[in-house]
Amino acid sequence: MSDKESTKNPQMREIFGQTLAELGQEHDDILVLDADLHTSTRISYFKEKYPERFIQVGIAEQNLFGIAAGLATVGYKPFPCTFASFVSRKSIDQFALSICFPELDVKVPGSYVGLPTSKAGASHNSFEDIAFMRTIPNLKVAAPGDPADMRAIMKTAYETPGPVYFRVVRYALPDIFGGDHVFEWGKGRLVREGSDVTLFGTGMMTDRCLKAAEMLAKENISAEVIHLASIKPIDEHMIIESVAKTGCAVTAENASIIAGFGAAVAEVLVENYPVPMKRIGIRDHWVDSGEIEELFQYYQMQPEDIAKAAVESIKLKESRL
Amino acid sequence: MRLQNEQVARLEDYAYQIRRLSLEMITCGQWGHPGGSLSMAEIMAVLYFQVMKVDPKNPGLEERDRFFLSKAHASPALYATLALKGFFPIDDLYRYCQIGGIEGHTDMRRTKGLESSGGSLGMGLSIAVGAAWGVRKKELSQSRIYCLIGDGESSSGNIWEAAMAAGHYHLDNLVAILDYNKVMAKGFVWDEMAIEPVREKWEAFGWDVVEVDGHDIQELYDAFYRARWVMPRGKPIMVIAHTVKGRGIDKTEFNYKWHTQHPSPQETDEMLRELSLRYGKPEQGYSRLEG
Repeated sequence: MSDKESTKNPQMREIFGQTLAELGQEHDDILVLDADLHTSTRISYFKEKYPERFIQVGIAEQNLFGIAAGLATVGYKPFPCTFASFVSRKSIDQFALSICFPELDVKVPGSYVGLPTSKAGASHNSFEDIAFMRTIPNLKVAAPGDPADMRAIMKTAYETPGPVYFRVVRYALPDIFGGDHVFEWGKGRLVREGSDVTLFGTGMMTDRCLKAAEMLAKENISAEVIHLASIKPIDEHMIIESVAKTGCAVTAENASIIAGFGAAVAEVLVENYPVPMKRIGIRDHWVDSGEIEELFQYYQMQPEDIAKAAVESIKLKESRL
Repeated sequence: MRLQNEQVARLEDYAYQIRRLSLEMITCGQWGHPGGSLSMAEIMAVLYFQVMKVDPKNPGLEERDRFFLSKAHASPALYATLALKGFFPIDDLYRYCQIGGIEGHTDMRRTKGLESSGGSLGMGLSIAVGAAWGVRKKELSQSRIYCLIGDGESSSGNIWEAAMAAGHYHLDNLVAILDYNKVMAKGFVWDEMAIEPVREKWEAFGWDVVEVDGHDIQELYDAFYRARWVMPRGKPIMVIAHTVKGRGIDKTEFNYKWHTQHPSPQETDEMLRELSLRYGKPEQGYSRLEG
């Protein structure tokens, strides 16, 4: 199953690029910075409409974030744009110290997150960005789950004082939320009610959780699905409330399971309401080049893998009863 | 443009006070970087008390000049300058490196007058490039952006990324100053990581370059005057200020061991007495020797 077959929606990077151009029309304090990737990240839409507010820094990601910091100190709201792996691996110090430490109003999209990087392989695959970003004080972190979620997160990010990091996947996602969807920091979204297990998804993996829930339903297993676009802050109340009902959990992320989204959910659970849980995501690997759907299969991040993990989590729960 | 003798004397006195206060802060905090703070005292004095348009009563004035300290470990000299300028009380300096007091490096959220936060070397010039691009975009034609970098941090690639962008965007409202004190944390620059020919490097990156004695008030003022009124012609400006690491105290001059070392109160007392005599002032030791 390819992404083209699963939905007629454009890829999320398209939604991002178009939304950024729309935001640029509403707000003339938005500046967009590029490190020679504008057609890949789709900030080319903004560049075409507002070339006077588009800054090319060349392949110089450290400078990308430093310049963004300087622009913010004089009152602009910059969006420095590059691939997520370069944000977190090439220029994390500049992002953390020059922008997040002084809480500057800079919004950072991390593009090409997780497995879908068009066969680029390990150098361009960002498995670590959630883990890195969520440890940085003052920084808010989000991963949109569908086109409406992307638009809502970007609107909220613009309106949120201080630094924001949000993930942009090179992948098409079906609609989950309606056009009136609103995003709030620290608020999860119940997208399917259930009673046997909770599937917590973030970003593109919420759609896969929903597909897993359908598979589980055929086996008479009732799975609740919660979308946590806001990874930091995270909706502790909703996480605890759901597992108090279901008694076990699975997390799914298009990123490393080490210190990432699943770890964030686990932190909430072990401190408040320990229950059996399983994590789906990249399991301590440098990612190979390959066809996108083959990669999801190879790294066991398909809906059937989530469903299988749910069954295992339920078994763990029952073994304790 | 010649400064009057009284103006030179006044600025030299500020440089002297910046050195005194820097050493006192480092002693109070029992942490800090004396060498790089002492080398930049005249640069700070000339910028803040003769050249830059900044108003401590209106620190957010949009069309102000802005100073970015890239070599942020030399923060004591900047904090002392800001206090002398009136951004906050002098007494605040004595809470250097104490919880709730003044940050060891720079924290713009905490201390009035700072334009950026820093401490990880190589980053400040990029921030200054962004600010210079931004004030030009806002048509704040009277605003100038100043950025002080170190010779040690000039081995950082981030400095040269920023240098290339400033040249590319013809940011002639940007003036960088190289505190060329010849010594980095663990030795002489030419032994650790040579930066020569440094003038040619900056010129190759599209900058106009002027070299001065960084402890000579008149030469510094001439350079900044030229950078403000004569040289802007589509290129950013680099002022290479030849300085002495640890300037003012015999045992700290060109001595890498005083890059980070903090003196004991007794040592500070001796240093400040030496400093006062060297500047032709009445002999004056450490005001907080008795705590």
